[in-house]
Amino acid sequence: MVNNDYILQMRKISKSYPGVRALDAVSLEITRGEVHALVGQNGAGKSTLVEIIAGSLHPDSGEIIYEGKSYTHFEPWQAINLGIQAVHQESQLVEDLTVAENIYLYDLPVGRGNIIDYTGCWSMGRELMGDLKINIAPDKKVRELSFVDKKLVNIAKTFSRPIKLLILDEPTASLDEQGKDILFELIRRWQANGLSIIYISHNIGEIFEVCDSVTILKDGKKVATHKVSDITIDDVILEMIGSTQATLYVREKKRPFEKNKGVLEIQNYSRRELIHDVSFQVREGEIFGLAGLVGSGRTELARMIFGLDLKNSGRLLYKGQDITPMSPYDAIQKGVGYLPEDRKVDGLLLSRPVVENITIVSLAKNSRLLLNLTEERREALSLIKQLEIKTPSLFQLVMNLSGGNQQKVVLAKWLLAAANILIFDEPTVGVDVGAKVEIYHLMESLVHQGKMIILISSDNPELVALCDRVGIMWNGSLVATLEGDNLTEANILRYAMGVNDSMEVRK
Amino acid sequence: MTLQNLTSPFRKGIFMEQTYVLLVLILAISVVATIVNPRFVNPQNIINIFQQIAILGIVASGVGMLLVSGHIDISVGSQISLLGVTFAMLVQRILGLPEGNVEPWRQALVYPIAIAITFGGGTLIGFINGMTVVKSRANSFIISLGFSTAYHGLALLVTGGASYMLFGRFETLGRGRVFHYIPISIFFFIGVVLLSHIILKYFRYGRFLYAIGSNRRATHVSGINTDRVVIQAYTIVGILNALAAIILISRVGSALATTGDQYSLDALASIIVGGVSLSGGKGGALNIFLGVVLIGLISNALIIMNVNPYARDFVIGLVIILAVALGQLSERQ
Repeated sequence: MVNNDYILQMRKISKSYPGVRALDAVSLEITRGEVHALVGQNGAGKSTLVEIIAGSLHPDSGEIIYEGKSYTHFEPWQAINLGIQAVHQESQLVEDLTVAENIYLYDLPVGRGNIIDYTGCWSMGRELMGDLKINIAPDKKVRELSFVDKKLVNIAKTFSRPIKLLILDEPTASLDEQGKDILFELIRRWQANGLSIIYISHNIGEIFEVCDSVTILKDGKKVATHKVSDITIDDVILEMIGSTQATLYVREKKRPFEKNKGVLEIQNYSRRELIHDVSFQVREGEIFGLAGLVGSGRTELARMIFGLDLKNSGRLLYKGQDITPMSPYDAIQKGVGYLPEDRKVDGLLLSRPVVENITIVSLAKNSRLLLNLTEERREALSLIKQLEIKTPSLFQLVMNLSGGNQQKVVLAKWLLAAANILIFDEPTVGVDVGAKVEIYHLMESLVHQGKMIILISSDNPELVALCDRVGIMWNGSLVATLEGDNLTEANILRYAMGVNDSMEVRK
Repeated sequence: MTLQNLTSPFRKGIFMEQTYVLLVLILAISVVATIVNPRFVNPQNIINIFQQIAILGIVASGVGMLLVSGHIDISVGSQISLLGVTFAMLVQRILGLPEGNVEPWRQALVYPIAIAITFGGGTLIGFINGMTVVKSRANSFIISLGFSTAYHGLALLVTGGASYMLFGRFETLGRGRVFHYIPISIFFFIGVVLLSHIILKYFRYGRFLYAIGSNRRATHVSGINTDRVVIQAYTIVGILNALAAIILISRVGSALATTGDQYSLDALASIIVGGVSLSGGKGGALNIFLGVVLIGLISNALIIMNVNPYARDFVIGLVIILAVALGQLSERQ
């Protein structure tokens, strides 16, 4: 059935990758002239769906009906010709060219002798900006623009060709309140002119400000579509979490903690514009979770605590003593370990053997000049056995191991260096389910030995299952700490999305 | 847990095993050279080859260790030139021309002073190169290209374009032979090669060089002061260049502002042929040694086969290209 009220209908769209069903028979209808929000947790399938609409991915099955015509898939050029364009989170502009050149980059106006007609280009740019009610000089270099203006130019670029459906992916990320107001004002105006918009955002408050309807995705499936006027923020959050899934693992949490145990105090960590006065405490034998959206400042905080990045203020106290690391070397001497967010960038010597990767931190820690090859092989072998790292040999290059085993190698080097304050940044990303559970077991046995773990994770069920307490970061601040019965996915999500009490009152 | 490598099929393995490739090449060139001219396998000729590559071997060992950490220094040639003219100038200034009378104290102190200042200069040059590369975070190729020109200019300033002669003084180091048979410089060459082998393989410092070459950021996160390690590696290069410069000037008997220039290219050629990846994290001192032997062999074989001597650079250039291309191919497999 073709309905002309809809500009786009996606019918039972499925897309699989090896081992992952990214989209499972998802249907989506976008009405003409509406702003339609797409929400879901990490891995829900938002990006895959949007990429299929923009033509950069082909679905395995399903039907796309656009303006009454049926398609199996789009090619990127085809989508653009049909009036579908996407604005991604990252800027797509060439910094050293002018605004107008960027907008018309795909087809610059040329004069005699195929020379670029700059005057023509700028006047076209001026006209377009006027139509869009954006106040930016077309002959200005993009490099000189403010962050908001760059965002607007990215969006304006899509209007240089006829456009009917605009996809905005996290358009307000890193925008301040004023920038948001400008953007929302423009969205409403364009919408009044008949433009349809698909709006992806992690910030649920925004959706209630600017969108007409919302579709909630979870684990590659569509949960529901609602008119925004019919529901509340809490409804959306509950649907994003869904019914309780079978959890992989639940740690038995012991409480209350014994008194007189050592306490790690993270005091007043700040870095201009990134982290604002974050303080919390971790007790020995405790896993303290740090939740928050990507970009909320968790990784930046972890790197500052480990002495890797500069900070404006912040002290680390252990049993009352100041142990603030000044460098990674200093951190290691003081028993602090950091399992980095991206193991390939900051964790592994990919082109070196397993044994060298495992012993590198211990080598840095001890000041012996000569290597003891027999001893180091023995140590590495015992960790390979303890963590059940699957490698054909000690001398296998780490690049040839699977993701889970690579992560275990990073873990192994910190264990060998006997770190007792461990910061784990997304330890289970890109790790298969079996290795995941093994890493959970390992963390539990580590805190059992009296070590303390700060666990950064975007996997909220993981945080609920493993952590004694969870702090939630939002825009660089620690906005809440949850424990006991309050430690639920819904509560984490609520704080992580910047939903606070005043917002609910306004609603 | 078994310790054998289960993942390298033979066909790929033969490309990966740089040592075999080098040995086969060395053998092949030797066979061809011997067929053309049987004098090639004469022990005296073999010893000559080693004397000819001794200085290159010393330079390549230093640059090789540096390249293992993913950093490069292409200014080594002009460093050697500059250090060489410094050494020769000091000797001439202190002792004067051969006809004059020399006071005994000058005779006694000239070489300790000249050697100490040359080594001091090498250390300083290496340290400056390392500091600049590390602190600027710029590409080490470009930085050392700049230094190469600057040191060349300094050498020209020192000499004023002329040459400093030693007038037969200080010949023993470069020309002398133990038991009238084995050149002294070969002992320095073998000593430096063994030392760099031991450093890379058995010292914590060598392990850090590999780690930095493989992934500098991860090495830093693992608690290693990567800046210090790299500066030290550049300094070692400078010190070995001072040694190379003194042996070279002793052998040649005079110093020009361009005397050492060829060592930049030849050292790099031996190292790359020896299997150190330009991005670092790979390679070993013994393979670099074989690379040096191969480059020396090519030069010697061309002479002994009566090929036009000007063909040498052309052939060595092709060998570098072949080595890099094969290395890339094996990495992509």
